[in-house]
Amino acid sequence: MGQFGKILKFELKNYFTNKVFVGVTVFLAVAIAVVMFFPRIMEGFQKEEGSTVTDTSRPVMLIAGENAEAVSQAFSEAFTNYEVKMADGNMEAVKEQIIAGEVECAFVMESLTAYTYYVNNLSMYDSNTVIADEVLQSIYRMSAMIEGGISAEEAGAILSVQMEHETMKLGKDQMENFFYTYIMIFALYMVILLYGQMVATNVATEKSSRAMEVLITSAKPASMMFGKVLASCLAGFIQLVVVFGTALICYNFNKAYLDETGVIASMFNMPIDLFVYMLIFFVLGFLIYAFMFGAVGSTASKLEDINTSVMPITMLFVVGFMVVMFSMTAGNVDTILMKVCSFIPFTSPMAMFTRIAMTTVPFYEIVISIILLIASVIGIGLLSAKIYRVGVLLYGTPPKLGAIIKAIRKA
Amino acid sequence: MRLELRDITKSFGDKQVLKGISLAAEGGKAFGLLGRNGAGKTTSIRILMNVFPANSGEILFDGAPMDYSKVQFGYLPEERGLYPKKKIIDQLVYFAELKGMRHSDAVKSVDYWLERLGMSEYRSKRLDTLSKGNQQKIQLVTALAHNPQIVILDEPFSGLDPVNAMLLKDVVKEEIAKGKIVLFSSHQMNYIEEFCDSIAIINGGEVVLTGDLHDIKRNYPRNRLVVRSEQQEAIRKEFADKCTVEEDGALLITLTSSEEKQSVMKHLTDRYDIDEIKVFEPSLNDIFVEYAGQQE
Repeated sequence: MGQFGKILKFELKNYFTNKVFVGVTVFLAVAIAVVMFFPRIMEGFQKEEGSTVTDTSRPVMLIAGENAEAVSQAFSEAFTNYEVKMADGNMEAVKEQIIAGEVECAFVMESLTAYTYYVNNLSMYDSNTVIADEVLQSIYRMSAMIEGGISAEEAGAILSVQMEHETMKLGKDQMENFFYTYIMIFALYMVILLYGQMVATNVATEKSSRAMEVLITSAKPASMMFGKVLASCLAGFIQLVVVFGTALICYNFNKAYLDETGVIASMFNMPIDLFVYMLIFFVLGFLIYAFMFGAVGSTASKLEDINTSVMPITMLFVVGFMVVMFSMTAGNVDTILMKVCSFIPFTSPMAMFTRIAMTTVPFYEIVISIILLIASVIGIGLLSAKIYRVGVLLYGTPPKLGAIIKAIRKA
Repeated sequence: MRLELRDITKSFGDKQVLKGISLAAEGGKAFGLLGRNGAGKTTSIRILMNVFPANSGEILFDGAPMDYSKVQFGYLPEERGLYPKKKIIDQLVYFAELKGMRHSDAVKSVDYWLERLGMSEYRSKRLDTLSKGNQQKIQLVTALAHNPQIVILDEPFSGLDPVNAMLLKDVVKEEIAKGKIVLFSSHQMNYIEEFCDSIAIINGGEVVLTGDLHDIKRNYPRNRLVVRSEQQEAIRKEFADKCTVEEDGALLITLTSSEEKQSVMKHLTDRYDIDEIKVFEPSLNDIFVEYAGQQE
């Protein structure tokens, strides 16, 4: 323990006396708290103002052309978010109103089955035409059926028939697990890149300030490397505990105000086994990358070189992140690519965790993946300590990979 | 205490940096490690301190292979630098702890050395607020605080003003008096001459000269006389082509053999008004240039 423990303590103290580190942690915790309290605060404001939240705040939708009156009546029922009005000017006036922002959009009916939709900037999420199509379709069907001799009540019943269905899930509910998987992957991404960069910078700073000359003759390279990396791991972990702990406390405090959507609730109701897997993959994933960042940091002789030196590691990590994210959002995490990625140590922390959370993975696959990962963490850790010992005494241009490997073999 | 390096070799890639370094240093004495830039001094020191292993050769301490868990080193590297943004006391205690000291002992020892070097007032200052010379004194503490048996000082005097150089000299003499092995590496020959009993000159990865400094000097042919006198012109006339004028104005008379010197000295003191007369001994500077100047 001795030396390693002292290095760990010293490096940890560095993090906790670093104003930026403390500032960012406090900022994140406060930001999360504000977000969590937001619905409650908003409700408080609304109560104070009473129920005078007026209709005039709704955007205006204009209807013009054929059957405008009937259509606007039907639309005002369908578009509850809009104030539906009949257009009272000509087309030019309507367009001007839209451009000026007084009116958000307009439907100009050519017949009951054809119209033109006018809008200033078409939003990505604009589904007004879809709703309009449905409303117009049912009006058309209704009138067609009535014409064909079916009574209005019967027609209404036919059109509004509801199917009864029930879903029995035998495996995982992707929807329910999606959010915390997403948050975990994203947190892992942020923490690894941020702390990896910190470890690399930390090593390179010692090297460029030449404190390394004394350090390398005072402590074993392996103690230095493991001390630094574990300190950053602990610091990162404590930071996350503070941030997510704040979130959890605020959530429990504001449960009544937040539960409406179910999304936030699903995040905090993570099953315990999944939580344990998350911890395992998080810590191991963090370590494997932190070691690599530390090793690379030791080969840079100037702080400016760090960014280019860490590029390959960052790329490797980002590619893994992309694969997982695309598979997740595509809803299919059982592709061959994901299966392969869930065994490669550099991507398995993200890929295997995603698969565990979102589909059913045989237990032996999980065990194999974790064993591979642990073995790689130890291997990469020892290798990085060797690179560190060689790297810290090299000054000048960063050495090529081949040269480092040669030097390690010789040393 | 006796430290011995035997036939140490080391290559980096295809380049052989050390081609068989052998030297021996005694406790209670200072040893001077000399060599031109890139001769292999720092590499030798790093191998000695087990930063990386040698390709071949042995390092012996009191006749047995060096046990790095028992023997403590103190090192002042030529490339100075500690943590610029950290409090001086914090980092000095950290370095002493890394060398195996308990926290309370480390604090006590660091405080003693800060006091000894007149740096107590900077105890809780950040390192980068100090001048370069003062930073160097702080770094010296990292080499001495843990009371090592072997002290290695690489260019310890560069950058120090005369008062601080004096202070450092006293400290080094104390360390030598405690019976420690003190290894000096420097290009400032006057300091080496002042402290070191033994030297080794490394050139191109080889020891080209090693041994007791006095013996080395005495082994030079003793057939030259240094003379200072008011009657220089007359002496020059008498000895003519045997006589040259040194840079500092003294006369250098080269005799055909060293046996002559007693009679010539008597002759000179009888005949002229002599201020100073002595057998010429080469300075360390001369020896260094002679041995390290050629090749590579």
